[in-house]
Amino acid sequence: MNVKKVLALLLSLCMALSLAACGGGGGDAASGGDDSGSKPAGEVSIFYYTFNDTYLSSVRSAMDSALAAAGVNFNNYDGNNIQTTQTDSIDTAIAKGASILAVNLVDTGSNDAAQNIVDKAKAQNIPVVFFNRSVEESVVSSYDNCAFVGTDYTQAGKMQGDMIGQYLVENYDAVDLNGDGVISYVMFKGDEANQEAIYRTQYGQENADAVLTAAGKPALKFYDETNTNRYLVDQNGAWSAQAATDYMQTILSQYSEANNNMVELVIANNDEMALGAIAALQNAGYNSDGKTVIPVFGVDATDAARAAIDNGSMIGTIKQDAEGMANAIVTIITNFQNGNDKFDGIDPSYLEGTWRVNIPYSVYTGE
Amino acid sequence: MAEQTTTPNSTMKKGPFRKIRAEMERYKTLSKQDQRRYVTDMLFNNAMYIIIVLAIIFIAIRVPSFVSLSSIVNIISLTASRLPIALGVAGCIVLAGTDISAGRAVGLAACIAGSLLTTANKIFPGMGVQPLPLVILIVVAVGALIGFVNGFCMAKFKLHPYIVTLSTQLILYGTILLYLKMGENNGQTLSSLSEGYRNLVAGTLFTIGTVAVPRYVLYAIILAAIMWVIWNKTTLGKNMFAVGSNEEAANVSGVNVMRTIILVFVMAGIMYSITGFFEGARIASINGNTGFNYEADAIAACVIGGVSFVGGIGKISGIITGVLLLQIIFTGLNFLSVDQNILYIIKGLVILVACAIDMRKYLVRK
Repeated sequence: MNVKKVLALLLSLCMALSLAACGGGGGDAASGGDDSGSKPAGEVSIFYYTFNDTYLSSVRSAMDSALAAAGVNFNNYDGNNIQTTQTDSIDTAIAKGASILAVNLVDTGSNDAAQNIVDKAKAQNIPVVFFNRSVEESVVSSYDNCAFVGTDYTQAGKMQGDMIGQYLVENYDAVDLNGDGVISYVMFKGDEANQEAIYRTQYGQENADAVLTAAGKPALKFYDETNTNRYLVDQNGAWSAQAATDYMQTILSQYSEANNNMVELVIANNDEMALGAIAALQNAGYNSDGKTVIPVFGVDATDAARAAIDNGSMIGTIKQDAEGMANAIVTIITNFQNGNDKFDGIDPSYLEGTWRVNIPYSVYTGE
Repeated sequence: MAEQTTTPNSTMKKGPFRKIRAEMERYKTLSKQDQRRYVTDMLFNNAMYIIIVLAIIFIAIRVPSFVSLSSIVNIISLTASRLPIALGVAGCIVLAGTDISAGRAVGLAACIAGSLLTTANKIFPGMGVQPLPLVILIVVAVGALIGFVNGFCMAKFKLHPYIVTLSTQLILYGTILLYLKMGENNGQTLSSLSEGYRNLVAGTLFTIGTVAVPRYVLYAIILAAIMWVIWNKTTLGKNMFAVGSNEEAANVSGVNVMRTIILVFVMAGIMYSITGFFEGARIASINGNTGFNYEADAIAACVIGGVSFVGGIGKISGIITGVLLLQIIFTGLNFLSVDQNILYIIKGLVILVACAIDMRKYLVRK
């Protein structure tokens, strides 16, 4: 009896709490507007591949405030890095009467997931804006009311590679700790199956090599010559600092200045992994005040990475413009709502064909 | 609970050598067939240790630097960093349960520690670095609370541990994401951790030659010692094994089952929060991903080390062996530059084979 009462009480408490929470969230998003009253159009449903990606959290914050400012009724969904979860919540949102879908796709390995979403939306005549994680042209072009806002995913890697090459040419002898004339490096890859990760891994090294050879220096050498992949990947595909820390710690146990084979350069697919590598370097007595700095490069320009660059423990990163991306998405959403041309008001130099907007990257090496 | 299948009279004598000599004498009295069975039993009973030695020898032949001092220190310190969470989750497994909220508990603890011990506080804008003992206290209290909720729901409502900890895992994940959204942080990574914090955990304990041993190795040893005492020398430990072997029987013989379950989970929660506190300083960059999937490796290590899912079986030494074996294999594969895709398969096979070998000795006994 007693247990039942407690249970009933707990359950009702839970329900009351979650209702209150929902109410609060809704009020936040729709600035207190009634669902049925002033806005007959359904919500703008925004699907993030995960809520815990640092860069996309910045996009989400910027987008939340931009949409709220524009008076748009919207809702955010967490795909939790599982395509099935995301597709399911898209189904639910369509059933709920969503007016526009903004999708940060989970599975970028093939066209199927994206095409599937486009087909669903097309059947209901709901516009779709893909963003951040890449979707191919054939998918976007298959539906008039579809657009992609992203970055040229090869660009980050290329810019990173150029930045690294340039830095090395300028500081060659300081970086080449053992003076053998070759820079040995390690590359941390965020996810084995992600387009962006694949291209960052490729171009980060290739472009650096190109700059080096143009300056008459030898190409980079992967620290472990038996590793034919020439990268170390986060096995959880989470681009995580922890994976980089553990790898780096293991590397440092084998490769050191004392053994004359120290890793002289760290290239990471994102800032998280760069910071993880720095933590291991710092634990081993590098990359802090007055110590030897092994140059570490990332991508994203997160606040943490910028702080690290400013205090000298990291050298450079590539900035993804979170606000620029959020603003472009919101512009497209309002264009769809008002029946304007979808790319109205977007800097024409960002446009690629009639299907995508590329938010440019920029180099960040400190202020 | 004793793992050896020796006859009772051989354990009467004291001293390790006398035990071995008695075993040798017993071996001589056996028939040819029994002798063979005795040897295979011996091999299987010590399979974990044999696998470790074989793995080390194999990797060391291929890459000699695997057994260099710095590499050994590296493996030990990586093992130490993963040990506390395994020590915690092991208690839950001994209770014939499990705990899949462990990783997220680690993450939350790391976030809280990071947010209070950063020089650029964005979650609580304007707040400086808090005193370390206070933060440790808060983090441990949060861990204990998580454990209490887990244990209470399990014991009170008779829910399966998997369901309870699945729920708390989700709740904790949401809490982490909300926490990181607080203040001006906007879900960003926590960094700029205070020197004091990083030093306390990842600072140098002592150096052997040029190789520095980090402090958390010592802490892991202390935690293992404390857990050994709790498991083997206290009523709580004995009750834990009793409840794990047979809850009904334990209840009938006067063990307070509910209290035992709650305390074991509280203990586990504290271990997770300590892991989180260590990981925060070790990795020095904390976000929503921190701690993700940690429970998978911890549970695998426990099971490899002979903490049985059947309940009521397990040893602290086994857990340490399990964590060490996993770490040696992961680090070793890294040294061997094995293709990253193959790593998943090897990891799966290692867990499967190790557990199968380990279960065999219990099956034989039954």
